[in-house]
Amino acid sequence: MSALTTTGTAPAATGARPPRVRKRPAVRLAEGLGFVVVLAFSIFPVLIMVSTAFDSRANDGSRALLPSDLSLANFSFVLGEGGFGRYLLNSLAVGLGTVVVSGLLALLAAVAVARFRFRLRTTVLVLVLVVQMVPLEALVIPLFIQVSSLGQLNSLIALMVVYVAFSLPFAIWMLRGFVAAVPPELEEAAYLDGASWPRMFWSVLFPLVGPGLVATSVFSFITAWNEFVFAITFLDDEDKFTVAAGLRQFFTQYGTDWGSVMAGSTLITVPVMIFFIVVQKRLSEGMVAGAVKG
Amino acid sequence: MTTQQVVHDDTARRDTTPAAPTPPPRRHRGLTPGWLPWALLAPALLVVGGLLVYPLLWVFSLSVQDFGLRELREGGFHWTGLDNFAEILTNPTLWRTALPNTVVFAAVCVVLTVVVGTLVALLLARLGPWGRGVLTTAIMAAWAMPAVSGTYVWVYVFDTSDGMVMRLLSSVGLADPDTTNWFTDRLAFYSIATLNVVHHGFPFVAVTVLAGLLTVPKEVLESAAIDGAGPWRRFWHITYPIMKPIFAVVVVLSTIWDFKVFTQIYLMPGGSGTDRDLLNLGTWSYLEGISQNRFGYGAAVAVVLTVLLLAVTSVYLRTLFKQKEL
Repeated sequence: MSALTTTGTAPAATGARPPRVRKRPAVRLAEGLGFVVVLAFSIFPVLIMVSTAFDSRANDGSRALLPSDLSLANFSFVLGEGGFGRYLLNSLAVGLGTVVVSGLLALLAAVAVARFRFRLRTTVLVLVLVVQMVPLEALVIPLFIQVSSLGQLNSLIALMVVYVAFSLPFAIWMLRGFVAAVPPELEEAAYLDGASWPRMFWSVLFPLVGPGLVATSVFSFITAWNEFVFAITFLDDEDKFTVAAGLRQFFTQYGTDWGSVMAGSTLITVPVMIFFIVVQKRLSEGMVAGAVKG
Repeated sequence: MTTQQVVHDDTARRDTTPAAPTPPPRRHRGLTPGWLPWALLAPALLVVGGLLVYPLLWVFSLSVQDFGLRELREGGFHWTGLDNFAEILTNPTLWRTALPNTVVFAAVCVVLTVVVGTLVALLLARLGPWGRGVLTTAIMAAWAMPAVSGTYVWVYVFDTSDGMVMRLLSSVGLADPDTTNWFTDRLAFYSIATLNVVHHGFPFVAVTVLAGLLTVPKEVLESAAIDGAGPWRRFWHITYPIMKPIFAVVVVLSTIWDFKVFTQIYLMPGGSGTDRDLLNLGTWSYLEGISQNRFGYGAAVAVVLTVLLLAVTSVYLRTLFKQKEL
């Protein structure tokens, strides 16, 4: 490879046009154009959301790319009178609960399918893949009946349990790649050194799949944080609303309070977005690990 | 850990990378008890079984019942056979509205998402580190935006009285705010929804395909280029075959997501069922099942959606299995 790369940097060496190095102007222009278009398309809604959130005249039909009157009025209304702090706390609790429970269960299951050969192993893997195909919206009716006959409507715990189930198949699928990438010899060596098998998983394997756990946690958290259908179906009490359900409060029969909608949307989007961007490398590793290893 | 084991680490990593069919792992022979894998799996299987598989079976059983508020309160069982399905299959809402709204919309969204995502991945692979960093950050922002917030923003942008798009178009005389309402016109409504779904979905494809692109050996691409293969041929004959499993995963997941799009439709004006022309299978099932308390009928619509989705994805799945990716 290095030989080829070296040839590539010295065009005179071979007659052929070297790939990648020294691009033609037309190619550079196309790349630059593509860059600008993708950048604009990606962040356009984010810009609109944030700029409207900071615009105290958002409801007077100002609707510009930049706020006409920069202020924090929308945020203070949303967090104060709008009760949005409550929704944020509820969502945070449900999200963190989902991450912890689903991460633990997924890790155990991933170790089982990546480390052991047992009868029905393939069946389990197929099951995990197939349940991801189930449209969750199709489950809202039976789960609503079940939860309501157990008297658990308005229970954040019930909502969390449902989110754990939703995030679990994908988490198992992703983590199994990370577990498979850890050489079993490491655990075997620990075992031969006298560690019991729980210990060998705990102190050898678990630390090494840390990046995988970060990636799956992000996905589980976002599943819970963003979920809308079950939140509006299970929760009736304003006290129990999660952020996705709570935002609807700002749509009234008298019209939409766009300033509040966008301030609320900003509050639920921007922190998650920053976190997401920080761990992006782990996320793409996770996607590939889940897709091709195992 | 000794250096020897670190070296070991490296070789083992390399061993698992090739796409060649890997034998099922045969590890820890004799080191761990045979029931251990099942013990590790038990909690996950219980949750998945209890909250995904069992309710799914229950949907099928509900779909052949007349299950309403009374049954919910008092219990009991009202078997009606295939009445719900007969009603759905003879209902023009299915054929004229919900089915086309679901299938055509999903097909368009999947194609657009995968094409846009792949193009963005190819662009990302060509950019220098600075450009790639900036663009990856931007598409991560699009990805992380919750469906709820994203939908509200698109509704706001396309608002028929004050929205930016309407202002722009009416200022150049292309649309009249008094006579145009995008949210009551099926094509316009679903075009906005498509924009929303593609915007939300393409980053996943781009990031996944990019990660795959980086595994394509550069030497092969470079020697093909030297042999005179253009970018198009290099993509179809080298990159695409190597990345087939990744494309398969990306297409399967996008299909699943786009068939059952709910939030993005439900939150748009008219999308929750007030305008019946805009119903898709998901919102129709919800409208009948949860909003009108006709749980059995709603479940039957859900069954139609599920069967359709499983049929479509099983085609992809078969390809996956043929490639022995499991």
